[in-house]
Amino acid sequence: MNLRFMSGGRLTMGIWVMLALAPLLADEWSVSQLGQYLTYGILAMSLSFIWGQAGILCFGQAIFFGLGAYLMGLTTLDKLTWLGGSQLAGLALATVGPALAAYVLGKMLFVGRGLSGAFFAIVTLCAAVIVEIVAQHTEFIGGFDGLLGVPPLMSTWRAGDDMMSTNEVFYVVLGSALVIYLLLLFIQRSPFGAVLAAIRNNEERTASFGYRTVEYKVAAFTLSGAVAGYAGALFTAQFGFVSPAIIGTALSTEVLIWVAVGGRAVLMAAFLGVVLVRSVESVLSATLGPYWLLLLGLLFILTVVAMPDGLFGRLLRLSLPRSWREPRRREAPDMQGVEAMGLNKTTKPSS
Amino acid sequence: MSFAIELGLDTLSYSLSLLLVSLGLVIIFGLMNVINMAHGEFFLLGAYSVVAVQHAGMPYWAALIVAPIVLAIIGVVVEQLIIRHVYHRFIDTILATWGLALAIKQLIVIVFGPTSQSIVNPLPEPVQILGVVYPSFRLFIMAVALAVSVATFWVFYRTHIGLAIRGVIANRSMAASLGLNTRRMDRWTFAFGAALAGFAGAVMAPIMSVDPQMGGGFLIPAFLSIMVGGMAHLLGVVLGVGLIGATGTVISSIDTQVASQVAVFLLAIIIIRIWPEGLIGRRR
Repeated sequence: MNLRFMSGGRLTMGIWVMLALAPLLADEWSVSQLGQYLTYGILAMSLSFIWGQAGILCFGQAIFFGLGAYLMGLTTLDKLTWLGGSQLAGLALATVGPALAAYVLGKMLFVGRGLSGAFFAIVTLCAAVIVEIVAQHTEFIGGFDGLLGVPPLMSTWRAGDDMMSTNEVFYVVLGSALVIYLLLLFIQRSPFGAVLAAIRNNEERTASFGYRTVEYKVAAFTLSGAVAGYAGALFTAQFGFVSPAIIGTALSTEVLIWVAVGGRAVLMAAFLGVVLVRSVESVLSATLGPYWLLLLGLLFILTVVAMPDGLFGRLLRLSLPRSWREPRRREAPDMQGVEAMGLNKTTKPSS
Repeated sequence: MSFAIELGLDTLSYSLSLLLVSLGLVIIFGLMNVINMAHGEFFLLGAYSVVAVQHAGMPYWAALIVAPIVLAIIGVVVEQLIIRHVYHRFIDTILATWGLALAIKQLIVIVFGPTSQSIVNPLPEPVQILGVVYPSFRLFIMAVALAVSVATFWVFYRTHIGLAIRGVIANRSMAASLGLNTRRMDRWTFAFGAALAGFAGAVMAPIMSVDPQMGGGFLIPAFLSIMVGGMAHLLGVVLGVGLIGATGTVISSIDTQVASQVAVFLLAIIIIRIWPEGLIGRRR
């Protein structure tokens, strides 16, 4: 087997193990910080899936995140009384609602002659601006202040129904992240994911092979919206509030930076991009003050111009699914050495 | 009646200002196929050059010369350092210029502070026009915007440089093989677009709240205008800013600012949905 690709898989597993062990080594504050980064990491994976796999650059990913956050807040604050304030209902609603919103937006923008990549990016950016303004001026969801005092995650399995401990919250978030990661990875490596990659490379060619590219794009966008919404719900429960700032351009831009810096094409790289940027930010922003944002902007330009794979993209790239590799493999299992050399050359066209 | 005249003047003033901002955007896009997300920040730098000129004790009018020159230099530098490297990656130009926008905005915060700056209105006396009292500086902005737009059109459609630019827009490789230096044209086009944005910023600064967030306020309607109007022809921009400007001004006069922004966005989405190439677009 090729060493470089194996190491990508091993590194990914190693990172998950390290994350799972983190509460044993770190103090409570760091664990809660890490839990918050993981929530943003789920958001980053949702963007990486739509952008890295299907080539759809969305400048308004925070719309779905924020929508999920608001729906979770509204449900658990009992403002949507018919749901009874249950957190599970909130999580479900926060997943389904943004999915629906993404479906409608996708249908509107992709169907027909549709918008090309750049226009799609600009329209989603404008949508994020508008949604933020509307959220600021809607009294039902708290206007400029947003929703305050959202209850934290409760542990229903214990008697007394009290709050989860920091470590429990961390494992809930980590478990969610792992499940979502595996789900998105499975989809990326399924035939469906192959079609998405084909659309990214050349949509017209894919369409001329008979694939309904619009349906595929809308489906991928819907899934991405659902994941972002779920992350938003976790965010609300962790922070205890929702404000219009998280539904607009600020967070949409931030998640773009995380994903671009980490590596847009690899889920794990995007996920780590969040942890890296946020950790560095918490260390440096105190000493650098306003210069931190300047530095971040310049770093973003540098990665976009010089390293389109991001910092971790190459490192964490996984080997291709077995069935995508050369069909020769099954006929000549004794030629593994030869094939490993061939593998290097053939990764490009299918990724 | 005077309400209608005032509304009409407001619409015209807003649309012409929007045109000034959009022109640079659409020229850069048309020639270089680069969507410049930092355009709003070039506008911002233009406005802050007024602040700097005022600090230096020079009159406001000096800024109208300083701003485009400074921005043209910045444009050349940015093109050389960033844009040149991502020409072939269309989507990445959006990201790179977006990063640039963040950096410029933060640089302004560091140098001038996050609060809004006050700029002395150079023409404080209102004038009587068509039976309504109207701020004379707005009339000045309208005149300048109209003059600059007409001059840009004239350069594009009546001069040799314009012919060369239109040739590159129509078929880049053919124009290059006929001996046009497309590399140099890209650089100067970007500089010109940046200068136009800077000039717009300097002209508009006295009637706007000059703070680090002001760039975004014009960028969104400018983008919507050029998408609605279409990018194939400069006239599309005129149509786009007219439509977006009129809708925005009229609705904000009868309802809130929020309602007007939402309405403009929805209108733009509907038009883009029906005519993805814009109202005056390349027909496939």
